[in-house]
Amino acid sequence: MKNQRLKYSVYLLVFVLLGSFVMGMKKQETKIVKPIPKVGVLQFVSHPSLDLIYKGFVEELERQGYKDKETINIDFQNGQADQSKLSSMSQQLIGKKPDVLVGIATPAAQALANQTKDIPIILGAISDPKAAGLVESNNKPGGNITGVSDQSPVEAQLKLMTQLMPDIKTVGVIYSSAEDNSLSQVNRFKDIAEKEGIEVKTYAVPSTNEISQMTHVMTGEVDAIYTPTDNTIANGFQTIVSIADEANIPIFPSVDTMVDEGGVATIGINQYDLGVQTAKMVVDNLTGKMTPSDTPIYTFNTGDLVINEEKAQKLGITIPQELKEEAKK
Amino acid sequence: MIASTIGQGILWSVLGLGIYLTYRILDFPDLTTEGSFPLGGAVCVTAITNGVSPVIATLLGVIAGMLAGLTTGLLYTKGKIPVILSGILVMSALNSVMLFVMKSPNLSLLNKPKIFSLLNFAHLPANFDVILIGLLVVIIVIFCLLSFLNTDLGQAYIATGDNEVMAKSLGIHTDKMKILGLVVSNGLIGLSGALIAQSDGYADINKGIGVIVIGLASIILGELLFGELTMLERFIAIVVGSIIYQLLILAVIKLSFDTTYLKFYSSVILGICLIIPELSKKFSEKKGGSINE
Repeated sequence: MKNQRLKYSVYLLVFVLLGSFVMGMKKQETKIVKPIPKVGVLQFVSHPSLDLIYKGFVEELERQGYKDKETINIDFQNGQADQSKLSSMSQQLIGKKPDVLVGIATPAAQALANQTKDIPIILGAISDPKAAGLVESNNKPGGNITGVSDQSPVEAQLKLMTQLMPDIKTVGVIYSSAEDNSLSQVNRFKDIAEKEGIEVKTYAVPSTNEISQMTHVMTGEVDAIYTPTDNTIANGFQTIVSIADEANIPIFPSVDTMVDEGGVATIGINQYDLGVQTAKMVVDNLTGKMTPSDTPIYTFNTGDLVINEEKAQKLGITIPQELKEEAKK
Repeated sequence: MIASTIGQGILWSVLGLGIYLTYRILDFPDLTTEGSFPLGGAVCVTAITNGVSPVIATLLGVIAGMLAGLTTGLLYTKGKIPVILSGILVMSALNSVMLFVMKSPNLSLLNKPKIFSLLNFAHLPANFDVILIGLLVVIIVIFCLLSFLNTDLGQAYIATGDNEVMAKSLGIHTDKMKILGLVVSNGLIGLSGALIAQSDGYADINKGIGVIVIGLASIILGELLFGELTMLERFIAIVVGSIIYQLLILAVIKLSFDTTYLKFYSSVILGICLIIPELSKKFSEKKGGSINE
């Protein structure tokens, strides 16, 4: 190699590698005294529901006596949907030797899981950890991973739908073909609905760009729209709302925040509560009350009934008095 | 952590080498990259989860990438579709191909064998399996590329990129050369995708977004830092450039910048690197010195 700078750069890299090789060989001996616990959090992307999970997480930790920067160190990284950086971010988090790791949304959890088999990982908002290859079984995870599932109470949601629209015949489901969590929920919805004699039409979109057109097609063919827990749909939800409003088609989302954003009603898992539950599991782990390998994935059976009365009125849907009372707000 | 970053840099450098074949030698931007990269990973991970050995699975990823490149090449040369458009068409179609292959947008490799497991017997410190396998792959790739470029075919390939009209007048089938370039380039990109998917532990259909920037970064950093080079040195410079780019990203994360805006920082880093040669040229002209060192 004639180029001197290139030659020396290569020498330098080899030198660094040899150095870290030697360091890596003898690092077993090091022991560090940890004054306060450390938690590393990796979130996949910012959007209202995931952000709310993180908010619930931090606030519940504080209620349990773990205040950030005082009695606990929370190290937070947000991948902003850039998967090429998730692995570097995981390494950065693990490099700080945290006591517990938290992964919010599937790709973030997978990135963390791939980097460590020892540090406990608590999952926040992963619909089906087994299908995502994160645990051996949802009841007995077996490894260093357990957590909270954001699987929706689909049956309850469908019941609510038929209660509000007794003569409903066709439901359109719009979901993202690029997300793992959606398809399983859509299939469950379809199974249950078709047993009840309701026809389900599914509309998969590759990205937010196709939502507008797909919704236009859908509004012509269905009586109501159902949306699963889906990041892409969450991001493009306003598009669906404005098009459905024009056609006077009600939307039944799975996520409670989406009711405020223009849906009619749902029985949804409160995203904030997901964060709270995640924090509880982190605290249990920090205090040694549980080990991930034999702690089942936490799944919510019921949810909060949320109704957008203004919207229902506009669409001519009458809400039974008992539901009004049951609804939180 | 430095070791793991260097490992990542080595794996990403295969992508840079692939892009170099089209972007620098043939002088056209091939956007198939953003599809063939995750495709390589998707095919490889699907194969592994179906019990295929990781080495074969990785090669299947390469073949998938080559087929993607072939499609772009045929659209470009036979269909006369502009190269950027051909790449975009194929990249977009590959999204569905990956869904078809994996039957789901995301497929995990947890507790499955990976190509890096080949070194499990050696009990290396963490991340050194990635570094060693990565280096081995890079050395094989560079050796093959150099041997290829030194053949008559390789010289014809370079000539096509240098001056297409002249190459044609010498009787070189320039269309065939372009197809060849796209096939080999995307094969390498698929290889990189397969390796990264194994190192990340999963394949995802959205993994290709923005990877072209990472590949270009390694080429540009290599050129910026080391200037005029022979072909072998050029390839080594791409590997070093790729490692340095990953180290720069690590530095940004380490310095506790808000990683929400990481894409902005990485663009700024690249932007600066692209501007520096122009600035130093202006500067040395003003001083009346020569442009070259």
